[in-house]
Amino acid sequence: MDTIVAAATPSGRSAIAVVRLSGPTALDIARLLVHDDSFSPRPNQVILKDLKTDDGAVMDQALVTFFKAPHSFTGEDMVEISCHGSPVVVRRLLDRIQQLDGRLAGPGEFTLRACRNGKMNLSQAEAIRDLIDARTAAAAQLATRQLKGELSNALSECKQYLIDVIVKLESALEFVEDDLPELQRMAVIDELAAVRSTVDQLAKSYESGHLVRDGLNVAFVGRPNVGKSSLFNKLLTRDRAIVTELPGTTRDSLTETIALNGIPVTLTDTAGIREAGDRIEAIGVERTHRAMADADLLVVVLDGSTEIQAEDRRVLERARAARHVVAVNKSDLVLRADPEEMLDGSKVVHVSAVTGGGLTDLSAAILEPFGSVDAESVGLLVTDSRHCDLLLRATAALEESASLMRDGASEELVLVGLHNALRYLGEITGETTTDEILGRIFSTFCIGK
Amino acid sequence: MIFDEAFDVVVIGGGHAGCEAASAAARLGANTALVTINLDLIGQMSCNPAVGGIAKGHLVREIDALGGIMGRVIDRAGIQFRLLNRSRGPAVQSPRAQADRSLYRTEMRAVLENTPNLHLRQGMVSNLLLSNDRIAGVSMQDGRQIGARAVVIAAGTFLNGLIHTGRTTYTAGRAGEPASIELAEALKRLGFPVGRLKTGTPPRLDGRTINWDAFEPQSADEHPVPFSFATDEIHQPQIRCYVGYTSEKLHNAIRRNLHESPLYSGKIKGVGPRYCPSIEDKVVKFADKDRHQLFLEPEGHNTNEVYLNGFSTSLPAAMQQELVRMIPGMEEVRIIRPGYAIEYDYVDPRELGPDLQCHRLPGLFHAGQVNGTTGYEEAACQGLVAGINAATSVQGRNSFNLRREESYIGVLVDDLIRQGVDEPYRIFTSRAEYRLALRHDNADERLSKYGREVGLVGDREWERFNQRRDRIAKVRKTLGSERLKATDPAYSAVKLLVGELPESITLGELAKRSGVHSQHIRQLLPTTIRSETTNADLEFALADNLYSGYIKTQEAAISRLNSHDTTPIPSTLSFRTMSGLSHEMVERLERVRPRTFGQARTIPGMTPAALSTLLFSVTSPN
Repeated sequence: MDTIVAAATPSGRSAIAVVRLSGPTALDIARLLVHDDSFSPRPNQVILKDLKTDDGAVMDQALVTFFKAPHSFTGEDMVEISCHGSPVVVRRLLDRIQQLDGRLAGPGEFTLRACRNGKMNLSQAEAIRDLIDARTAAAAQLATRQLKGELSNALSECKQYLIDVIVKLESALEFVEDDLPELQRMAVIDELAAVRSTVDQLAKSYESGHLVRDGLNVAFVGRPNVGKSSLFNKLLTRDRAIVTELPGTTRDSLTETIALNGIPVTLTDTAGIREAGDRIEAIGVERTHRAMADADLLVVVLDGSTEIQAEDRRVLERARAARHVVAVNKSDLVLRADPEEMLDGSKVVHVSAVTGGGLTDLSAAILEPFGSVDAESVGLLVTDSRHCDLLLRATAALEESASLMRDGASEELVLVGLHNALRYLGEITGETTTDEILGRIFSTFCIGK
Repeated sequence: MIFDEAFDVVVIGGGHAGCEAASAAARLGANTALVTINLDLIGQMSCNPAVGGIAKGHLVREIDALGGIMGRVIDRAGIQFRLLNRSRGPAVQSPRAQADRSLYRTEMRAVLENTPNLHLRQGMVSNLLLSNDRIAGVSMQDGRQIGARAVVIAAGTFLNGLIHTGRTTYTAGRAGEPASIELAEALKRLGFPVGRLKTGTPPRLDGRTINWDAFEPQSADEHPVPFSFATDEIHQPQIRCYVGYTSEKLHNAIRRNLHESPLYSGKIKGVGPRYCPSIEDKVVKFADKDRHQLFLEPEGHNTNEVYLNGFSTSLPAAMQQELVRMIPGMEEVRIIRPGYAIEYDYVDPRELGPDLQCHRLPGLFHAGQVNGTTGYEEAACQGLVAGINAATSVQGRNSFNLRREESYIGVLVDDLIRQGVDEPYRIFTSRAEYRLALRHDNADERLSKYGREVGLVGDREWERFNQRRDRIAKVRKTLGSERLKATDPAYSAVKLLVGELPESITLGELAKRSGVHSQHIRQLLPTTIRSETTNADLEFALADNLYSGYIKTQEAAISRLNSHDTTPIPSTLSFRTMSGLSHEMVERLERVRPRTFGQARTIPGMTPAALSTLLFSVTSPN
């Protein structure tokens, strides 16, 4: 196993930057970096040291911490160097460490080593990835819960119920000559339904979990000068887009992410759709069309203070094929437009980019089609598509077994689905061996002629 | 070395493993000796007088399909045949038969005596002889030395056997027979890892002293299903067994006297089987049960002895007499032979390859209880595998292995050599991932080709198998092509039976509907096919038809799980230097030395973290 190195903080200027080393020669490399062969820091102790180049010139003054295997993140010897956050310093440090036979780590390699060394399981590693990538507090909280093994725990309980059912059916098959209680098929059907419903609920939570993790893309569309950029700025609570009274001010699509109820929502302000005045505007309109195609939801902005125009109708026509919300802007002014006749079936909210009126309604309307999830208050959500797929497979297998049970099919057929479901759940929580099931049988029933 | 006699193969032990091993080796052309302490007790059933049962019956039919002898012998000595799980699907049905204990011995002896190349020798083996780190023969207690190029140990409970009744212990291999102590010590000297297991047996009663009216009779099947594919009909007159129950009074008496039981006084160190608990265990561990079921099994046509199944005990012999009299209907009963517990040595089966040959000592094979199994059928199938491989190894032929996907024998051997045992190992259908495909009635279709290839299935049996296979193929085809149509006269009657029915449906699809039985389908077969199809053929084809879809969905789930199973683990890979493996995990891996990731995955006690570590190492490019 070689020693790997990487910057643990993002590139760019900052007060400090952290460079990590992991592997058997981590401490040796640190000794060479500080030009001190006898450098033997106590594990977990922070020490101030000069980092030097090959010829002894000081590169930086840094805090050095040594973590001794197996008590480190990766389970190997590790050294963490907190240097000053200059890209140049970090660059020189990484180069120097590579000269000393440290290898630049591949993506996720520290976590991979942690997995290898039994410091965490796959699902925890996945959770760490999600935690790092989390874009809202709610998403981070979900990842933390998974890291703590809440999904595994929730499923383990479910699995125990499933094993209980399997134990009953297996015993009925294997020990026909023993004096076992007769199999209560109706009770088994009820127990299966309970297991199925728990698994199914977890699977369905993916829809929300996926939203919390990956968020939504929302595009503001409309003809020029209806106030898309003003609304966009209002939702961001800062002036990101340039706003003038001139139609066609927004030439290019702008993108920013906000959190709505803990869900990361990426807002895109688009160029107004009309017959383009010049080539730049034409490209902008083209980009708008692309943004519309990529969006999970469109906010069609209308100007409530003027009559509905042909261009509005064209935008609405296009938007109607997708999930959309109609925002009638300038509701602080006298309403002239009466869009009702053409908004059949569309969700309409009245807003004012000037006063901020109706913005809460707009936020709610944006989230509404995606379920009433409030990521900041709900329980455990499945965020990983692999987990969701396995849970759905398990649900289907359980349903198949329940239906066979209702039809009075023989136990060995019912058991096919149950064992399959157990295998799918096992891919998340770890396998169940035949011996565990047999052990449960022998402790539950008095078997043996 | 100078030998008094020399053979290709020497089999130690004349029980169910030894008989199969000796018969197979001799019939494959190896000059074979079966050495046993008492020739009159060849084929002795040490415990219950029965063969088969769920999964065990599957094993016997597999042995038969491969050309083994157990099925044929029980068909001649069986006095009560029953097909278990008749109300359930065909994959979990299994034949079982009570045996006439004495007749079984006689029949088995006759089969062995009529086997060319097979020589019976009486005597106790006391040591293994080695030459150049290979097995070279055995020496006997009486001083004889017998040369052998391969040796099969099938010594059952005789290895360091120690009988317990109450506080009394004495060395014995079985009640009334000496233990094999020197051989057990020889195995330890050779460095084999040896453990202790325990099993028990109930008292045998004098049938003349039982009030039979107090028990519920249980009859044989009207049409017995034989074990052997070569048997057309069962000729033995069929008897009844009887079912009864223990009483609270009895339970209390046992509880009061637990201190007399070596199981509870801590005298017995060996691990007993959980699925075959003693009556003491039943009363203690399932204290809320107010009665336990007992079976009264007559031991044969010409004896008064009755086997009290379900009452295995190691309480003092004198006390047993008082206790059984507390069973309703046994107020006057007399015990002929008391029950007892026996502890014996077994050798960790992880010492063996799939051919049941020891890694440690080439030419030495282990079969039966020495490998930690329990049961006549489990022993017999290992005897067959070991006997075949002992012969093929001296003949320079390829070794004979069965896969777990295709046989219960494969499941059993694979479980043993990879996982070892921590209690006596018994086969269960749930041990087979591919339970639906491993039916008792298709054992011949699965395995006869291998038996034929290796040379155990004779011309007559092979011809018979081929005819059956062709008949079944025809039925199978008919089920897929023949349709029941609305215009057929039978249509309305069938519709009445099943409710909804399409205008036209194949017989195969119809057969899957609930309420439709094989007799119904039989009526709908074209007359020519019907007349040449036996009921067994039809049941066979219908079982294939019923299970095919399920087998597919199951395969999909398993193959997902096992997607890395075929990833090889290089034999040069050092687990010790792999970072992140705990000492315990390294030990487990080194002991099994898995050759694929799949084998490593099923080692008991392997943690998910250790497995991911291993998977990372075997799949990472460097």
